[in-house]
Amino acid sequence: MGTDTPQDLVPVTVIAGYLGAGKTTLINELLAHDHGRRLAVLVNDFGAVNIDATLIADHNGQTISLKNGCVCCSIADELGDALDRVLALEPAPDQIVIEASGVADPANVAAYGQGWPGCRLDAVVVLADTETVQAKSRDQFVGELVVRQLRRADIVMATKCDLVTEAGLAAVMDWLAATAPGAPVLTRRAGQLEPELLLETAQSIYRPSRQQPHADNGPDEPAFDSAVIEVDNTLDRDRVEAALQDWPDSVLRVKGILRFNGAAGGLHIVQRVGRRWNIAPAPNGFDPSHTGKLVVIGLPGTLHRRYLASSLLN
Amino acid sequence: MADMTVFVARTVRTMEPSLPVAEAVAVRDGRIVEVGTLDTMRPWLESHSHEIDDTFKDHCIMPGFIDPHLHPSMAAILLPMHFTTAVGWDLPWEDIGPVHDSEQFRARMVSLDTGLAPGEPLFTFGHHPIWHGPIDRSALNQISTTRPIVAWHRGYHSITVNDACLRWMDLDTAAAGRHPQVDLDAGKFFETGLSVALRHLRGYLLETERFRAGLDRMRQVIHHGGHTTIGDAALGFYGFEQEWDHLQAVMEQPDTPFRIQLMPFAMGPEGDERTDDEFVERVLSYPSRNTHRLRFSDHVKMFADGGFFAELLMLKPPGHLDGRHGEWMTPPERFEAVARALWNAGLKIHVHCSGDLGVELALSTLEKLQWERPRFDHRFTFEHFGISSTQQVDRMAAVGAVASVNAYYVYELSEAFAARVVGYERASQISRLGSLERAGVRFAVHSDFPMAPAKPLNNAWVAANRLTESGAVMGTTERASLDAAIKAITTNAAYVLGLEDEIGSLRWGKRADFTVLEADPYEVAAEALRDIPIWGTVFEGQKFPIAST
Repeated sequence: MGTDTPQDLVPVTVIAGYLGAGKTTLINELLAHDHGRRLAVLVNDFGAVNIDATLIADHNGQTISLKNGCVCCSIADELGDALDRVLALEPAPDQIVIEASGVADPANVAAYGQGWPGCRLDAVVVLADTETVQAKSRDQFVGELVVRQLRRADIVMATKCDLVTEAGLAAVMDWLAATAPGAPVLTRRAGQLEPELLLETAQSIYRPSRQQPHADNGPDEPAFDSAVIEVDNTLDRDRVEAALQDWPDSVLRVKGILRFNGAAGGLHIVQRVGRRWNIAPAPNGFDPSHTGKLVVIGLPGTLHRRYLASSLLN
Repeated sequence: MADMTVFVARTVRTMEPSLPVAEAVAVRDGRIVEVGTLDTMRPWLESHSHEIDDTFKDHCIMPGFIDPHLHPSMAAILLPMHFTTAVGWDLPWEDIGPVHDSEQFRARMVSLDTGLAPGEPLFTFGHHPIWHGPIDRSALNQISTTRPIVAWHRGYHSITVNDACLRWMDLDTAAAGRHPQVDLDAGKFFETGLSVALRHLRGYLLETERFRAGLDRMRQVIHHGGHTTIGDAALGFYGFEQEWDHLQAVMEQPDTPFRIQLMPFAMGPEGDERTDDEFVERVLSYPSRNTHRLRFSDHVKMFADGGFFAELLMLKPPGHLDGRHGEWMTPPERFEAVARALWNAGLKIHVHCSGDLGVELALSTLEKLQWERPRFDHRFTFEHFGISSTQQVDRMAAVGAVASVNAYYVYELSEAFAARVVGYERASQISRLGSLERAGVRFAVHSDFPMAPAKPLNNAWVAANRLTESGAVMGTTERASLDAAIKAITTNAAYVLGLEDEIGSLRWGKRADFTVLEADPYEVAAEALRDIPIWGTVFEGQKFPIAST
């Protein structure tokens, strides 16, 4: 982490988790949601993706184009080929989402995001079916794999939370936190999509008028808060790296533009998703008007702006 | 022209329990009319014109050898490469000596480089650090700074390349440098990083002319080993229709002395298929394209855990020696669902399983399917069968399973697996055969070529002796008897492919497929099986001598 990955590459988000964890449901919601991003979603099996026919603009072999600009693409045999297909689209997608196979080691899928030409890795999100994940973790065939998948997560999302009791949910959340130390564990209810969390949007930087992330989430408590941290100073890169490393798990996503001092100074894009973070020089021609702002998304009631801002400075 | 040809031999080993030994085989139109002696055949000989062919009067005629599990397409990619394996390969066009250590590896690379036209890329196959020590980009640069060099690892899952190759590939080095499974300094691409290199190399490796030249080499390899039937145990790794076209172009020739039984792999609905019924329907439709030598039937391939050479086998506790993990090639739930669809359609399922947890998935699925909907004679076949327990063998017997075993693992891998992968106890029992024989589970042995040499007599030799490359014996109680080892490349190999009424033994009505040996395998010591010279084969009544190299 922390390598200077160029930011003009297409970010890749990996959605992983064992069979039945809710990956397809999440992907269906991502495709249908009005999040304003042109997504290219790579799936293993078209059959399972259930796209509303009225949303489809075109279905051409391995690719379904949606009217909202998103495409859904079947991985077929080679993930690399599928990535090449969507990277060749005009215009290029804003972001690629890969549905990992249920038995994939998320690290192997993430490797494509890290090192495939034209891509960079945004995050690995591992879903866990609240009802079954603990039993699966003891299954003789897949127990080890289910645990390993969780340990690879930048963010863990417990799904189907409405199907268990409150006490049951609390117990599963504790178990997930213990199984995937260092990764924030979130709950997810059907229909409650958090694109700002799942995708690399950082909306409030680029579109300040955009509504708050949790405004649409229905009757439940907001799933997370967001805040903008502003720092006027030119910062010390080592200090920022230490802060990104140290900030608590409850800080789910960070994205912003900071100016560093010293020899390797200048404008940099800073990102953190769960426990994965990256700092890279801003590309040429980058609009510097939002320099000194970090958009932070975190669990409700945990974003202590002053603490976060001061930890960047001292 | 005579109606019949009567082949006489010093010995005919029919592999038929009712008439195990004979002296003559009468053949008409590619099929056997009668087996016996010239004397017992008199009613046939007196009523039909015939000629006696005594080419084999000093030889032993065996049923044509069968390897039920090879991969011609994979071979087509590898055979144009130059082998540098620690174990030697006797290939029809070249007898390649073993490359034992780093010094020999370097010398071999230098001599290969010298032998090639300027600029032609050098692809080698078989580097293994246990024998050859580490190699990297700078070591390969010392071989050549101008010729692209790709050194493929023996386990298939990594390559090392030189600078000239990096330039040739026109690689996005910034991206490759970020890839966690690419080590640019070392010139190494491994696991998923291999895809990054293959993105550039695949076009070259799969280019029609090269691929078909490789497939033609495979044609020679198959004949050279004495086969008259092989099984292609998963058509479609590199594109089903493309491979099918290449196979037809290269293999369906009048001078091709063998047939290929093709097994599609069945991973469930694909493309626009929505239901298991649609996918089963597709599998059932394949035989309609059969040609004389290329044939689909009702056998299909499934995959449980990862490969044995790649060390991706799934193990029950205590697992891998160093705590690393194997992988599932099919999610267990999906595996069961697909197997159920195939089982209920009456298809014959072959399962690639390497470790004892892979075996367990296949076995527990079979037990469940037998409980739900019992079938007799279902030919559910355990392929490879690397690590297993004797208790699993007993359960296999109970539910009528069959095995097709890669015995060669014992020869090349058991000592390395003892030292590095699973420890001695399990390694010494790799590819257990004695237990299968005692439990009455029918088994074939196979090469999985290009994983192991395509030499049935060599496979039978490993099965009966369990000797390793260094000369050690591994697990004497898991040896097959000599008879079982020979059956494993004839009758039982036919049985595994569901062709036992057509090939595998010599009796009236069967195909006139022979493998002709210079000695009777039942008369030489088991240790000498692999050294028996092969004169050649007879395919559907036509003689095909093996040219000496």
